[in-house]
Amino acid sequence: MKTNLELIKNKKKIISFSTVLILLSLLGILYSTFNTSYKKPINLGMDFVGGNELRIERVCEEGCSNVSPDSVLENLREISSNKNFINNIKLQFQNNNKLISIRTPYLSIEESNKLITNIDNIIGPLNYESKDSRLIGPKLGKRLLTNCVTSLLVSLFAISLYITIRFDKKYALFALLALFHDLLIVFGIFSWLGIIMSVEVNSLFAVSLLTIAGYSVNDTVVIFDRIRENLKSKEEGYNETIQLSVNESFRRTTFTSITTIIPLLSIILFGSYSLFWFSLALSLGIIVGSYSSILLAPSLLLKD
Amino acid sequence: MKRRQGWLFFIIFLLTLSVYLLINYPLQLGLDLQGGSQLTLQIIKEEGNVTRDELEAVNSVIDKRINNLGVSESNLQTLGGDQLILELPGEQNPLVASRVLGKTALLEFRTQKEGTSTDLKTLQLQRLSIKELIRQYSFAEKSQNDDNFLKAFQDDLKDIEQELNYSSSSSDLYEKLIEIKKYVDKEITNLFIKTDLSGKDLINAGRRQEQTNSNWEVLLTFSNSGGEKFSEITKSIAGTNQLLAIILDGESISEASVGSQFASTGITGGSATISGNFSAEDARELEVQLKGGSLPLPIEIVETNTIGALLGSKNILKSLYAAISGLIFVGIFMIFNYRILGFVSVLSLVLYGFFNLALYSLIPVTLTLPGISGLILSIGMAVDANILIFERIREELYDGNTLTRSIDSGFQRANSSIVDGHITTLLSCFVLFLLGTNFVKGFAATLGIGVLISLFTSLNCSRTILRFFITYQSLRQKNLYLPRNNFSN
Repeated sequence: MKTNLELIKNKKKIISFSTVLILLSLLGILYSTFNTSYKKPINLGMDFVGGNELRIERVCEEGCSNVSPDSVLENLREISSNKNFINNIKLQFQNNNKLISIRTPYLSIEESNKLITNIDNIIGPLNYESKDSRLIGPKLGKRLLTNCVTSLLVSLFAISLYITIRFDKKYALFALLALFHDLLIVFGIFSWLGIIMSVEVNSLFAVSLLTIAGYSVNDTVVIFDRIRENLKSKEEGYNETIQLSVNESFRRTTFTSITTIIPLLSIILFGSYSLFWFSLALSLGIIVGSYSSILLAPSLLLKD
Repeated sequence: MKRRQGWLFFIIFLLTLSVYLLINYPLQLGLDLQGGSQLTLQIIKEEGNVTRDELEAVNSVIDKRINNLGVSESNLQTLGGDQLILELPGEQNPLVASRVLGKTALLEFRTQKEGTSTDLKTLQLQRLSIKELIRQYSFAEKSQNDDNFLKAFQDDLKDIEQELNYSSSSSDLYEKLIEIKKYVDKEITNLFIKTDLSGKDLINAGRRQEQTNSNWEVLLTFSNSGGEKFSEITKSIAGTNQLLAIILDGESISEASVGSQFASTGITGGSATISGNFSAEDARELEVQLKGGSLPLPIEIVETNTIGALLGSKNILKSLYAAISGLIFVGIFMIFNYRILGFVSVLSLVLYGFFNLALYSLIPVTLTLPGISGLILSIGMAVDANILIFERIREELYDGNTLTRSIDSGFQRANSSIVDGHITTLLSCFVLFLLGTNFVKGFAATLGIGVLISLFTSLNCSRTILRFFITYQSLRQKNLYLPRNNFSN
């Protein structure tokens, strides 16, 4: 059951494929920066811009009646003093009209409680035990954003440093190239998700990028280790040895990705909704990371 | 062989210890798993950084206020250099806490400037009318859509603005009202001169219901020196038409005259009452704030998370499903591909799970949703080390080596890759833990601990278990280690 990846033959294809992926990601990032309402490379969520996110279930004896979000907003508008505020509320029903999910600009606890009471009056009763409310001030949001960007930069720097010390220059360069390739593509995918489906990124997204960074480098390091080991002992040519090493590590890399993705799929399927996009980002990162470790990084090492 | 047996006993000992720890020291669950509220308080300082002393001082005032509020099982901790995190477990409304904590509660006693009686009277009347407008506005929300009401309301407001010679720039009606009230409060405060008596001179505060009506009043008890200052101040204005104002955070909450009978000694006894139409809650909040003292720096509540208890227990259940199904499917995958070796990795995964949880209760690590996802993710990474080793063992077996030799060299040769790989993940975790928010720290902690423990379980435990297995003759057949159809290869 030895795998036989024809790395040498397909070098051009692999590199073009990655280039296309990177260009698509850059396109998404540019489009998102200039052509969306939020004018950011990626759709920043509440963690970074502040606001109020509320999820609460209705209590219904047998199936919740169908209510249109617009009619609820209309009712809210009637009893509220600040019309402008109501225009900024996003309201959705999920789970067969049972779950109400609301996004508003930043509110104080008092205002938020009042909003819930008003909604309770319109489509209640609500189950307060199922409430999930997050209020984040705009100041904290900015701070979180700086925090996340700093952590990303610092840990990328630390990983780069480690790799440079650990490997020769050439290996280090390509391992890092593969790493930035992975991060850029995952970032690009979420840029597109933001444009198409208004998916927002929160601090957990930054965490997933960091985890992907560690994981992706790990994957590449294992294959490069194998290549170095084989270059020392094997008699075949340079390119052939690289191809052989990749094929030898292929099972390990795919198996590891599979065993890491299985638990992530469990979280996506069974876990709490707040971890959904986080697990998805991680899964994507692991898929892209395995691809770049098996195919891209070794291809870059090949001599023409 | 002897050495490995020692390891086997050691592992069994660790497992027993872990089970013991888990039974006796239950895991601490975060608020997203047990329900409750979490408030992040940001200390505001215009210039420079918040010093350690200032942070401590704010922390102790907040702590006193929470204790006086009687919130059960609350937890207050500092985050970074200028934030505090307050956790209120269960169904405790964060509203009261936020109201009590958010105020600086700077208490001042001021005496009226001479010859400002008429100005004060006008301002007091204006304050009364603006308060009435605010009351009307908040009680009559429904009628706000009534154009007649709005028109009359806006006319009233305009009259007050004209009288004050001050107009608000805000477009929102309510904000306008609040802004004007603040302006009036400031004007009133300006009519009074500061004295050296302040909230610092209090040793206690209390509250009681007034006898004549249902309003509440707040009682202040001064320290010895405070009592003297108070009698001096009251003596100086007794019998004059100058008033004594009690000012809280720049807003005068009471202006009172001092009768001429106090002209010789001032008000002695070291106590005073503030009676300013307090409701029961208002009085309680003021009492708590005064008891705790004033905050050296103002704070702002920048984040509030509330999670219902039902949702919390649902989250636990969901995480449990995710973790267990993840484990089962990873186990199936491993056994399918590696046979006995796969079974060994499942056993070491189970050990891994126990050791992790035991360490959480020992350190202790508070388990949160991101924390659980870190744990679940680290399952995959723990297996990674096993896969690296097993692949090496397979290769050795294919090369025709004996089982024992293959196992030994498999473990040895995979060592460096495993350590390397773990270091990069640990680096990320370390940075996350240092720089991340509370939420992120949970993930970094569990993933980091997981990666460290997996070094032990995958390198040592699986090796020991495997060595134990091959002491049995029947478990030494090569086809138990490799899928049969590939063995002919």
